[in-house]
Amino acid sequence: MTDIDRREGDDPRLDAELRELPRAIAPGRDLWPGIAARLEPRESSAARRRPAWLWQAAAAVLLVAGSSLLTATLVDRDRGEGNMAAAPRTTTSAPAPRTTDVMAMPAAFGPGARLDADYVAARRQLTAMLEARMANLPESTRAKLQVNLAEMRRAADQINAALAEQPGDPLLEELLLMTYQDELAVLANVNQLTTALASAAEPAAGDAKRMQL
Amino acid sequence: MPTGREVVDEVQRARDAAEERRLVAAAVDGSAPAFEALYRRHAARIHALCLRMTGHVATAEDCTQEAFIQAWRHLPRFETRSTFGTWLHRIAVNTVLQQARRRHETLGAADSAEREVADVMADHSAADPARGRDLEAAIASLPPGARHVLVLVGVYGHSHEEAAEMLGVAVGTCKAQLHRARALLGARLEGRETHHDGH
Repeated sequence: MTDIDRREGDDPRLDAELRELPRAIAPGRDLWPGIAARLEPRESSAARRRPAWLWQAAAAVLLVAGSSLLTATLVDRDRGEGNMAAAPRTTTSAPAPRTTDVMAMPAAFGPGARLDADYVAARRQLTAMLEARMANLPESTRAKLQVNLAEMRRAADQINAALAEQPGDPLLEELLLMTYQDELAVLANVNQLTTALASAAEPAAGDAKRMQL
Repeated sequence: MPTGREVVDEVQRARDAAEERRLVAAAVDGSAPAFEALYRRHAARIHALCLRMTGHVATAEDCTQEAFIQAWRHLPRFETRSTFGTWLHRIAVNTVLQQARRRHETLGAADSAEREVADVMADHSAADPARGRDLEAAIASLPPGARHVLVLVGVYGHSHEEAAEMLGVAVGTCKAQLHRARALLGARLEGRETHHDGH
């Protein structure tokens, strides 16, 4: 203990008086109007804390969704023209789910601000089924779709991670739902493509059999 | 075993703390009404601190306003490791120091300012208003460095380390300033007592 430390407690009465002084003394006038006049408005924390990569992810989702749709449309058109030249379509497989059906799939967000378990299970099942069908697509088309799907899933993972930090953020939830819907829309296009390919192949196989007979 | 009164007080403290967290979250999100509610809760404490540190009524009001404006500006960076009150207290100390630097404050408060501060403070002294008035006037009359340390350590109970960090001085300087402040305070109070006795 230094001399100064020792001297601090030399006057216990003064120490006690200092500690007993009032801690709260209201200003003589209301200072709030002067404070309120100088408060700068600011955006909400949700928007402020949203990291820059999120907007990049959103942009990537839109870009990928757009390019996937374009890929699917072009391949479908080429295939359609080829089919018209070869033979009329006779669909024998189960009808493909329409994009609008996929878009209308219900989604809900649980307490962890992620898609609920039923939705995730349905998505996983549909994804597995459609990915298996991708094997029937031409290699270049399949490669493009796989790159696009990987981009979308990476974006979804990033949004999910952000949602874990900011549960209940409405924009993030909407963005995640859009991302999953875009992913399913791409997969639904895969289903349409593979169905079209199958129906194009069947008449050709029938023609070959008839030739043999 | 806590008494009924202690339990009620504890519950009330918990509710106050929860309400404050809600207000802080809303204010962080840009709600001016929530920030006004925080101002209403803390204005008297911040004003008392500014009053004692500046030793000047008008400057204390300016510093109180400025402290809340700074708090609003920096609220998005507020981390809940400390309470809002503690955080605001530090902002107020910084505001007073900045204000003092701007005014090149080198001397203690003028006599008229001392009396003005002492009058404001005396209204809030419960036990002995006359003694409280003398004590507050003596604190207001101290040189700024000694006054700042005395207020933070002597009145608000901060450690020398905390006070030194807030004031931006070495711990040794803080201790020396407190020693000086106590000596000056003792002498001034003694002088006032002699003065009162003489009357």
